[in-house]
Amino acid sequence: MNISMTRIQAIFMKDYKEFSRNYAVSLMALMPLIMAILYNQTGANTISMYFLPINMVFSIVTAYVQCCLIAEEKEKNTLRGLMLSPASLGDILIGKSLFVFILTLVVVATTILFVGYEPANLFIIAIALVFSAVFYIAMGTVCGLFAKSIMEGSIIILPVIFIFPFGPLFQGLSEAFPVLKVAEWLPSSQLVLLAEALEGTYTTMDIIVPIATIIVWSLVTWIVAGFIYKKRMVD
Amino acid sequence: MNAVIDVQHLKKTFNKEVALQDVSFTIQKGEIFGFLGPSGSGKTTTIKILTAQTEKTAGDVLLFGRPADEMKQSKNRKRFGILTDNSGLYTRLSIEENLLLYSNLYQLPNSAVKEALDFVNLYSERKKKISQLSKGMIQRVTLARAIMHKPELLFLDEPTSALDPVNTQHIYNGLRRLNEMGTTIFLTTHDMSEAEILCDRVAFLHKGKIRAIGSPKQLKKEFGDDSITVELKNGASEIIQNGEQDAQKLFHWMQSNEVSRIYTNEPTLGNIFMQITGSDLV
Repeated sequence: MNISMTRIQAIFMKDYKEFSRNYAVSLMALMPLIMAILYNQTGANTISMYFLPINMVFSIVTAYVQCCLIAEEKEKNTLRGLMLSPASLGDILIGKSLFVFILTLVVVATTILFVGYEPANLFIIAIALVFSAVFYIAMGTVCGLFAKSIMEGSIIILPVIFIFPFGPLFQGLSEAFPVLKVAEWLPSSQLVLLAEALEGTYTTMDIIVPIATIIVWSLVTWIVAGFIYKKRMVD
Repeated sequence: MNAVIDVQHLKKTFNKEVALQDVSFTIQKGEIFGFLGPSGSGKTTTIKILTAQTEKTAGDVLLFGRPADEMKQSKNRKRFGILTDNSGLYTRLSIEENLLLYSNLYQLPNSAVKEALDFVNLYSERKKKISQLSKGMIQRVTLARAIMHKPELLFLDEPTSALDPVNTQHIYNGLRRLNEMGTTIFLTTHDMSEAEILCDRVAFLHKGKIRAIGSPKQLKKEFGDDSITVELKNGASEIIQNGEQDAQKLFHWMQSNEVSRIYTNEPTLGNIFMQITGSDLV
């Protein structure tokens, strides 16, 4: 695939300027931070409690903002302009994801600081967080590509906002409702399981399985995103 | 001569509705070709097929001798520029920021932005946000974006539809300059005077079919007559045909100083379109 740093940087800068002037979307990035501060006041001190606001950052900031950025491009016909330029699929998808990726890292780091979570193994948690960000960006991209307008995107993204952050909580109900056992394989649940494993004695598989699960989710979602993008190139 | 666009027996259907039927035409390098027809006649669909935004149902479509489908490849997208009524701009960004984005996507020097803005007479307004612009100004920015990389082939879908006469003239002059530099222009319009001013050849598209094709001069010759109308000072007017009898009549009026005005009855492209299709262009 033909990738150009100049083009990626141009799309990144454009998204940054658009985001900073779009208060309806940019204020959403502050919501999880406010929640994290309030959450900290409740005295939450378990891993699953720490990860509720972190997983909310991924759905509210990462997936939602990415979905809105792409849905707006479709609504205003600017995505077709990018598609007709020499920018390749890689340039556009990387360029459009880079801004949200950096924004996610900043908000996740700040949220972790605010909720007072101190990971037992920062390096492994950081890897899992990075792959989670990649997955949620893909999820936002898919939803944005499906939507015809920001309004439609805001509705399409709702299941992502509800299912993924609260997925780990569903596991508690899995004894009464066995079907909820599938929630264990959500990337958000795997993130919590990984963090919990790291707090005690753990095996290599305890680390590999959650990270591999998140990577598989990311890969599959990005393949779907690439496929939908190619379909959207033509009417 | 090299054909920049070669379309043979193009057909496009949307579900069961036929949008284009057996459309064939060839455009040579350096031509300004007008695709004329009322709204819904298939002009925009043709542009979308030529630029690989829509897939054809049947027929052959070649651009630069290669299948139009290859225009999806990013290296080929540098070869053409496009202005359509739905070419979006980033409304929160300024004119200059919008063009800078595209100059980076096309990997052009920053001077290309100034050149393009001068072309559409907008350099002094470059700091204005798109959201503050009139429809005509937005049209000019979109045109600047389309020509910024000096494409070999330029698709213009109703390029002056929202412009005032002064800016329309400015754009015409610019398009002629671009054409003199070697850019082939494919223009769709329902403005017949625009076609007459700019186009080397035109095609009339009606209900998805090409009904006539040729230079404006050829079409006028083919579908018009040689008569002239003479208005006399007494208020009467007469149609004069070629021939001894009418020539004598005209000579007599002129000799006796009775003629007020003489004008040709050459049809406009709009008249010819109506004559061929039985419907108006709007």
